[in-house]
Amino acid sequence: MSDIYERLATGILEGEAEKITKLVNRGLKKGLSAKELLDNGLIVGMDEVGVRFKRGDMFVPEVLMSADSMAAGMTILRPILIESGAEMLGKIVMGTVKGDLHDIGKNLVSMMCEGAGFEIVNLGFNVDPETFIEAIKEHQPAIVGMSAMLTTTMRAMGHTIKALEEAGLRDQVKVMVGGAPVDKEFSDAIGSDGYGSNAPSGAELAKQLVSAA
Amino acid sequence: MRGNYKVNSGTRFRMLSDDQLEELLGGVLHLLEYTGLEVHHEESLEILKKAGAWVDGKRVRIPSYLVRKSLELAPRSFTIFSRDGNSENDIIIGPGRAHFGPGPTCPNFIDIESMDRRPYVKSDVPNVAKMVDALPNIDFCESLGTVDDVHHDLGALYEFAGMFPNTSKPIVAWSYDKDDSAGIHEIAIAEAGGQDAFEKRPNYVHYCEPLSPLISTGEALDKLIFAATNRIPLIFTPCPIAGGTAPVTAAGIITQGAAESWMGLVIAQAIQPGLPFFMGGVFSVMDMSAMILSYGAPELSLMMAGLTDLAHYVGLPLWQTGGCTDSKTFDEQAIIEGSLSVFFSALSGGDMTHDVGYTESAMTGSVFQLCAMDEAIGYSRRITHGIEVTEETLAVKVIDNVGPNGHYLREQHTRDHYKTEYWYPNLCNRRNYEEWEEDGKKTMKDRTVARVHEILATHKPTPIKPETEEVIKKVLAEAEERVKED
Amino acid sequence: MSDILAELSTAVIEGNVDDMADLTEDALDEDFSAQDILDKGLMPGMDHVGVEFKAGNMFVPEVLRSARAMHNSMDLIRPLLAESGASMTGKMIIGTVKGDLHDIGKNLVGMMCEGAGFEVEDIGKNIEPEAFVEAVKKYEPNIIGMSALLTTTMRSMEHTIKALEEAGLRDKVKVIIGGAPVTQTFSDQIGADGYASNAASAAELAKSFVN
Repeated sequence: MSDIYERLATGILEGEAEKITKLVNRGLKKGLSAKELLDNGLIVGMDEVGVRFKRGDMFVPEVLMSADSMAAGMTILRPILIESGAEMLGKIVMGTVKGDLHDIGKNLVSMMCEGAGFEIVNLGFNVDPETFIEAIKEHQPAIVGMSAMLTTTMRAMGHTIKALEEAGLRDQVKVMVGGAPVDKEFSDAIGSDGYGSNAPSGAELAKQLVSAA
Repeated sequence: MRGNYKVNSGTRFRMLSDDQLEELLGGVLHLLEYTGLEVHHEESLEILKKAGAWVDGKRVRIPSYLVRKSLELAPRSFTIFSRDGNSENDIIIGPGRAHFGPGPTCPNFIDIESMDRRPYVKSDVPNVAKMVDALPNIDFCESLGTVDDVHHDLGALYEFAGMFPNTSKPIVAWSYDKDDSAGIHEIAIAEAGGQDAFEKRPNYVHYCEPLSPLISTGEALDKLIFAATNRIPLIFTPCPIAGGTAPVTAAGIITQGAAESWMGLVIAQAIQPGLPFFMGGVFSVMDMSAMILSYGAPELSLMMAGLTDLAHYVGLPLWQTGGCTDSKTFDEQAIIEGSLSVFFSALSGGDMTHDVGYTESAMTGSVFQLCAMDEAIGYSRRITHGIEVTEETLAVKVIDNVGPNGHYLREQHTRDHYKTEYWYPNLCNRRNYEEWEEDGKKTMKDRTVARVHEILATHKPTPIKPETEEVIKKVLAEAEERVKED
Repeated sequence: MSDILAELSTAVIEGNVDDMADLTEDALDEDFSAQDILDKGLMPGMDHVGVEFKAGNMFVPEVLRSARAMHNSMDLIRPLLAESGASMTGKMIIGTVKGDLHDIGKNLVGMMCEGAGFEVEDIGKNIEPEAFVEAVKKYEPNIIGMSALLTTTMRSMEHTIKALEEAGLRDKVKVIIGGAPVTQTFSDQIGADGYASNAASAAELAKSFVN
């Protein structure tokens, strides 16, 4: 039965979403648990993706295919896992802050986080603090991710964090920030919980934030 | 006697054939007419509608006749003037001319003393401007950074206020919003002698950028409308990332990026027919491993050369990119990537090539890179200057006079031409080993650092008028007041 | 300093070859000695040229022009200097050695040395050791300069020095050598008195032997 795990991992590595859907369904039918399929198959594949990307043997478009495959598997597994009371990585509410129309960096981080096993609620761009707050109330995420590409708009990250405090939601979520002009210093200054310098490190950070919680 | 002296052509490179350019043009027109762009700006939507564009909510589609009309209205040749009347520093835009200068908005700077990377600060601005003013092959000024140690809304204004007194070469000014733009313009017209005088002899260029893919933001269009209304020569330049925010193919990114620029062109020409307008930008690839927009990739030069051909084909000047690198420091990679892209920009004849002096993929500005690139530009310009063939340069008579076994060192012909036929390096060392050894075995890096230090210690730019200094003080004070109210 | 001597210096620096004879005559009319003209007019000009050349502010064609200007004045004052028994910079013969047809490097050295005040006798290229010996007997120079551009021909320099020894003339002259493949080590090996890596430093070297 180890064969199906190997094929799941390979499917993730090769970014074959349809194959993953088939394999996950087949595994469940054969009586394997959702947890086993996730831990021994999908995550093994994604871990290898991470290693290969870092080494320069895989490229962004391939990693995104893998992340999409992971997401395809999770769509099936998530409800089962939740039902069985398994510990999940949780949700991330993601958005580019108010005044900023840059989309692609935030989308990349979202896709990478999805690949890492998170459920993503993508609020889009030009998201004002109130929209973030409503989304937190509605989706109960573990993490809020904010992106800004401009030195002028990055201040909106600070405003959003303040708004979270005022709404009494700050302690419920971890906040992570990123974008070209953002650095560790700025992240500390506005009281965010972490900063990622690129999409994979954003996903790493997200994992750390929930494991520390 | 020879008589065929009619054709004067330097060494230029053409990437695309007329047939290919006609296909690209067709692609851009198709995109503007059928796909359209999003315009996040009410006033611009009104202007476009009035001009004949089809507006549907934020989505604007522009019929090709309107695009062609706008292309026709924009001039191919015009002049940006030095602020002090020194015609040596004027930039004459027109066929066969390539100009170079730094870029804006790097968060970091290579410290001039320690050579360490640190945030870009206000006191760096005058130094960058002085370097630009002194380097013979740098033609226009940008600041190489975003000022970190002033109120975050006032960075662009402080940059202009720091550059303007320290170089008489034309400045390309970016800004956050139209308040900045108004402040910058007030300073520039004070020196020019009023709005009318400025319109006759514009002394700076206004820079703004749309977003890829296919979006024009409110701030960018605010600034565009300000520039067009005040007849400030305008650069409207996207920064599409192949494989990320634009098609991965060179032809695809050129098509999309040109459409993004021409949206601005249509608005600008509707407001101010004949406004000098540069299409542009930074067209490069997303490195699919490092996940950066590469400033050292060969595709940057390739795409920019293709875009240059398209711009010239439709009769627009181009805002080019070169002299930049992905290297984190001033090393061999920085020199290779910078020099090759500079050479390619010169060959393709891009009208204004910016980002000279960028390192770390536009994250860090470096006057050392700028200084070394000045050398590479000089070298490139000698090559693009080409070979002049006339009776005088053929030198048949001179060869006959000297004959076999003679030498040319004492010939009048040699003395007449050796200075204009040769380019002499400022940094590259051609001395023999013993002299080089005697001089301390200095490397290119050593000599570049020494030249930067020497220029900054000795170079004196032409001062601005005392009344302009007053205007700068006033503009900055008003701006500080404005942000205090926030 | 007097105006006319300053004018001579400037004329040398600017390479005004046509003015040199007139200026030299004028200086002599004003009762300056030939020695004054050389030491206070021409040499300061050439010294300036040397400094500017080294700094990269003057170029070879300009330096040669200056050297020619100097030479034009020297033609007039050399007999006077000889008459008065005044110290001359000296006499040199130069040539490219046997088997070697390269000319321009040696010509450059000759012109630079002329500019430094030497009377230079260029005996040409492809010069046999015997011809050098004959020339030394004929011109009685202070210095022989030999040039070779090829590794195959540079050995001929050694043959020439041997020939000078055999003729008993080696002690009467200093031998300096140069050319692309020549090095200080080679110069030491074959018993030359000095080696210069380029034309300007050859003139420096030559001066160091007569002063």
